[in-house]
Formats: sequence, structure tokens, C-alpha cells
Amino acid sequence: MKPRIALFALLFSLLSLPLQAAPKLTLISADRQQVLDRDQLEALPQTTIVTTSPYFEGTATFTGPTLARVLDALGVSGRSQATFLALNDYRVSGSLDELLSLDAIVATRKDGQAMSVRDRGPFWIMLPLSERPELDDPLYHRFMVWQLSGIELE
Amino acid sequence: MYGNGQVQILQRLFSRATVVALFLVVLALLAVNFYTYLQDRKLQSVSLGALRMASWNLAQLGAEAAAFDREMALMSHGVGDAEAFSLRYDVLWSRYDYLLHSQESLPTRRHQDNRRRLEDLFQQLQALEPDIRQRLAQPEADWQPVAEAWERQKAGVAQLVIDNFVGDETGRLMAGVEASRDRMAKLRMVTLAVLLAVFVFLALAMMFLRRQSRVDPVTGLPNSHYLRTLRRVEPDRAVITCEIRAFQLVLSEYGSDAVNQLVRLFVRKLRQQLEAPDQLIQVSQGEFVLLLRPRPGQALEATVNQLVAATHFDWHTPESVVHISATYGVDPHGEAGDTDWNARYQQAHRALAQAHLDGLPYYIAGADLRRRIREERTIHNGLVRFFNGEAGSLRLFLVYQPIVLAENRHHITGAEVLLRCQDDELGFVPPNRVVDICERVGLGKVLGRWLFRRVASETRALYCDLGFRGQLSINLNPAMLTEQLVDDVQALLLDPGLPPSALCMEITEDHAALDFDRINDLIGRLHQLGVSVALDDFGTGHSSLEYVRELRVDRLKIDRCFVDGIEHSEDKSRFLGSIIAMAQQAYMKSVIEGVENEAQWQQVRHLGGTLIQGYHAYRPMPLADYLALLADRQTVSPVQAPGAGRGAGKRPRG
Repeated sequence: MKPRIALFALLFSLLSLPLQAAPKLTLISADRQQVLDRDQLEALPQTTIVTTSPYFEGTATFTGPTLARVLDALGVSGRSQATFLALNDYRVSGSLDELLSLDAIVATRKDGQAMSVRDRGPFWIMLPLSERPELDDPLYHRFMVWQLSGIELE
Repeated sequence: MYGNGQVQILQRLFSRATVVALFLVVLALLAVNFYTYLQDRKLQSVSLGALRMASWNLAQLGAEAAAFDREMALMSHGVGDAEAFSLRYDVLWSRYDYLLHSQESLPTRRHQDNRRRLEDLFQQLQALEPDIRQRLAQPEADWQPVAEAWERQKAGVAQLVIDNFVGDETGRLMAGVEASRDRMAKLRMVTLAVLLAVFVFLALAMMFLRRQSRVDPVTGLPNSHYLRTLRRVEPDRAVITCEIRAFQLVLSEYGSDAVNQLVRLFVRKLRQQLEAPDQLIQVSQGEFVLLLRPRPGQALEATVNQLVAATHFDWHTPESVVHISATYGVDPHGEAGDTDWNARYQQAHRALAQAHLDGLPYYIAGADLRRRIREERTIHNGLVRFFNGEAGSLRLFLVYQPIVLAENRHHITGAEVLLRCQDDELGFVPPNRVVDICERVGLGKVLGRWLFRRVASETRALYCDLGFRGQLSINLNPAMLTEQLVDDVQALLLDPGLPPSALCMEITEDHAALDFDRINDLIGRLHQLGVSVALDDFGTGHSSLEYVRELRVDRLKIDRCFVDGIEHSEDKSRFLGSIIAMAQQAYMKSVIEGVENEAQWQQVRHLGGTLIQGYHAYRPMPLADYLALLADRQTVSPVQAPGAGRGAGKRPRG
């Protein structure tokens, strides 16, 4: 029993991100990998989305770089598919064209505050639902990944 | 078209009972539909999207609880990672927060007592936090009590997931949704079947109505609606119209129920004479059309005779016996290639009219009747164009036949205006034919007024400028014998300048036959204008003497038949003499028509005191000839009194 648990522990310690200390977003493309922390994300040009959503009551203001800018940092040429990865092991894939057409941002702050894991932080893919009501649909809700930890391009 | 049995089946199919039954079925279906709607209304709150979302959320809760559970196990064995542990704890925390507060998870919360249970579980998780913080701070802490507290929560989470997926309430809900779906599927099938039935019923009803509308309700024969759909008929078929004689009289005498029986009997007798390819169509209650295939070895005349004989019978009603017979008009066959139904039908109608006119049981249209129809059409068209002032082949004009004293044929007392008709194609058309056609097609008044205008324009100069005062007799066609006649005479003859004393309106016995009072009223009003009236063709109609007695006419024009043979027969001569004497007794002047030779002339002259109009004196002549005649030295004629006129004529002697 013990060796197996030890193996598990090893495995988990490798995969788990050192989140509590400094939240990071891992960007993976086939040939390279890049890790951005909150400061680096906030150094990019910021976009604000003021919106309602099915996930909280009332209106909230989200800020962060657009998804397009974040992916540009990695380089998207030759890539057609993106997968969002979350701390809670949720993952969702979509065509890059579709994802880039959603005007999504990688939100780093909600109402000016950094988001904790309990608040579905540290990063949250946010769509302008109020501005583009056609996006307020389960079809697009699935891309609004909270507790975002990484983006993988294929 | 189709048999009686078929009609009965169709009638039963579209009886009130069937329609009501169908209506009830549809009503019942509506009721069932409404009932299922009520049944399923409570299921409508369950949306599939919400169900899917709830399942997903609970599955995620399960998964995230399991992930935390693994971290907890590692911790309690002393091999855990603080950061990973905290992360799983926070992730689980956020899941509870989401389940309890987000709008998306509302259906999950609402289901059964989920909200309460989630709140309890969240509180229990939050209660762990101080212990966890404390132990994370000291590396060698004992995790056992926390792990045990977590174990209890874990069981709660598992139970929540189980109850939601397979619990009683959920099972019932799922069963309800399935039952509803099955019910809807069945109902849809039933609705479809009933709709199909209704559609078929309506289609049949339409067919039935279409057929019904083409069938006489009493006899079941094709009717006039059917006839109207007929476009062509094979040239070899005889088209026969048939009319029950005096049908309107029978109808008024015995009422429609009895007459329906009679019609059925009549049709039965007619049918017995028909062969398979023949067609019998009922145009109206007492009028039929037969399309007859020629019988091999039998002349059409013989076939028609059979029809006449078969429909010649005594009809026994409860009260009396009525003799029934029919009149037939036959168009034997079309000309080669002539399939036009309308022409054939009209031809048969003409033959029927001819049979009526001649009082015959039937009349078979031949080439002559066909020619006559064609001619009449030509004349009709020509007249319409002529009266409209259009160029055409037909032309009407006037001639004048002088009327003279019996004693002196050079003493011209006046003339009768006669209508002449010339057609480029038909040549001379007899005036009475023109009048007949005009009367029949409603051009009678147009003709009469044209005649008045024409007379006035031709003779105006003679009367106004030359002071002629001889009589001018004008024939009135029947359509002119109305209240408007007096106005027409005034406006069209007197107003242009013709003197009233010179005008004599001639009416014939046949036309005056209608109503003595009315005609006398007209005559009276003409007299007020100063216009005199003559009775034309005296002796040819019926009840001649009654006319002479009743009508207040000024002149009697004695028909040529009384002149024929007077030169050879003393009796005839005396008879003519007595007519003239009678006219004198009634204060009427006689005009003898049709004196054609010297011997007749001498006889009439001998009878004395009369005027003569006939070939032996003068034939009808164009106006120019008439004027020339009046201007002749020999001629004596009435002119206006000296001093008042500029007359060119000579003064009458004596």
C-alpha cells in the first residue's frame, strides 16, 4: 500500500501547480511552452468587460488581456485547435477561429480585485455576454473556464 | 353516369349521422389532447438543459470531492503536499459556492431538499478550515480527526449524488417524462389517423358534391350543370331536345310533389327507348336533352317516332287522369367535323321551336333550318352594325307605294311607307323577316325609331317645302306599341315638320291582339295629336270582326285574300262589297290591298267609295320616283290650301 501512495504523492506533486503562492498560466504549443504569471498578464494591454453571467448575481467588471493577445505571446501560426485547462481538471477544446471570434479576455481581476481559487480565480476566460447577447448560450458558456491554469494549442 | 345504389351509399356516407359522428371523434381527440396537456404541464418545468446541467454539476461535485479526498488521504499518511491539498480544498469550496449561489445551478438547488443539504455540507467543509490551517502550520500534525470529520462529509456528498441520480423522486420524474413521451407518440399517431380520415372524408365529400351538383335530385339524371361542362359531341350523334307539353300548366295544377312523380315516370318511359351509348340529360324539370347514337337499319325519323309514342301516355293522379305528351326538336347530325356542342344544341332548340310553331310532335332540323339559322345570324349582325352606323353588308331603306282613289288611278291620296332590306350576301330580305328578327332580339324599338327618323328626313321637304298633304301610312312593329309611341311620334315625326293630319299609323291584328283598352288608349292619344290609325291586313288574323268593333281605328286595310278571284266569282265580289259596307257603317275608310289587274280594279271601282293600293296602280317605288310621279302632269294629289303654301302639286278635283 505505502509504495503506491508514495507514487501517487510524487505524481500529484509534479502535476499540481504552485498556485497558492504565485498563480501562473501555462501556455503550451507543440514545440514550446511558456509560463506567464499575473504580473506578466497584467503587463499586456488590458481590456475590460462589464457583464452579467449565470455564475454570479448582478453585474461585475473583469479586466485582463484579450485571449488573442495572450495567444500571440505564444504564436498561433499553424495552430487550429485550442484547449483550456482548469485547476479542477475541467478541460474544453474548440477551434481557434471560433474561440478568437468570441472577444474573450483572460480575466485576472474581478471588480479590481485579484481572484482567489475560491472566487474561481486566479484566471477566468470571460466573454462579453451583456454586450453580445448571442454569446449568452450554453454553447459558449462551456468556454468560460474558471480556475484557468493553462492553454494548449494544437 | 353512375348507378342509384352508388348514390345511396354516398348519401349514407354524407348523412348527418356520419358527419356528427366524425365531429364527435374530432372533439374527443381534442379533449384527450387537452387532458394530456394538463397531465404534462407539471413536467414542463423540467427542461432537458437544466437536467443536463444538474447532472454535470453533481458529477463535478463528486469528482472534486474525490480529488480532495485523495489529498486528505495523502495528508493523513504524512505524504501530502500542502499546496495541492489547499488547492483541492479551495476548488471544492468554490464548487459549493457555485452550487449555492449561481443562477446556472438554480434547478439543482431547487430539486427536492438539495439546497438544504448543500448548505449543510458547505458549512461542514467551512468548519474544517481552522483545523486544516492549524495542521498545515505544523508539519508533524495529526490529521486523523480532520480525516474522520471529512469521512462523514464524504458520505453526505455521495448520498446527495446518489439521491439525485437514482433516488425515488428522480425515478418518478424520469418515469413521468417517459410516460408523457409515450403518450405523446401514441396521441400523435391517433391524431394523424383521424386527420387522415377527415381528409379522406372531405375529399369524398367534395367529389360527392361535385357529382351531386351535376345530377337532378329527383331523377338522378345529369343536369344542366353537367350540360354546361359538355364541350363537344360526336358528329354522328343526334342532339334531341324534348319538352313535356304544357308542363307549367300541369305544375300549377298538381303541385311539385305530383309533378316530381310525373317526371320520374316520364324519364322511365324515355329511358326504355334508349340504348347503352345514348345519353339523357335533364335541363330543367320538364326539359331534356338526348344524345342519340344512330340505330343501325332504322331511320332517325322512326326512332323519334318511337320516342314520341313512348312519351305519349295517360298519367293517373289520385283525382284525375292527365294526358301527357312531349315535343321534340331534333338536330340529326353535325356537318362533317362539326363537333361544336353549342351550335348543335342551338340547332336542336330551333327545331323544337319550329315544332312548337307548327304544332308538330317533333321537327327534324335539316339543311334549310341550318341555313335559316345562319341567315338569321347574318341578318342580326348586319342589323346591329347598320343601326350602329357601321359599314356592313346589310342596308335598310324605304320605298313608297301610292294609294289612289278607285275612281281615278291618277288621283294619289298618299302612300304607304314600306321597309326594304338588302344584304350583299343574302340579297333581298323580306321586311317581315327583318321585323321578326328585330322583335326577337330586342331591336324592335331601334328599328321603329330608325324608321320614323328616316321617314321624316326623306319626306320633310315634300311636306314642309312643297306643301304636299297626301297621307303617309307607317307600319308600327309590335315593340313600338307602348306608352312611348306618342312621344316618339311627336319627337321623331311631328317635330321635324310632318303635318299630323298626313300621318296614319298602321297596326296589324296580330299585334293589337293583346289588350283592346290599352291599344284604344294609344289610338286616343294619337288622335289627340291629329294622327289617324289604320288596322292593317284586316281579315287574316283571328276574331277580325271583334277588332273592327272594339278598336277605334280610322281606316281598314282589307287584305289581298279578299280581292283574289273577285273578277271570276260573283260571291267573292259581293263578300268584299259587304266588308266595305260594314267599314262604312263603322265610319271607317277602306283601303283595298292587292289589286293586280284591270278586271279586279273595275270590280272594286264598281263597289265604290274606296282607296286602292296595289300593283295594278303603282308598285312600291323609291322616293325619287314617288316625287316624280307626284310632279307628273296627269297626277292629282292633295296640297296645302293656296296662300299658305308653296305647293308644286296640282289641286285635287272635286
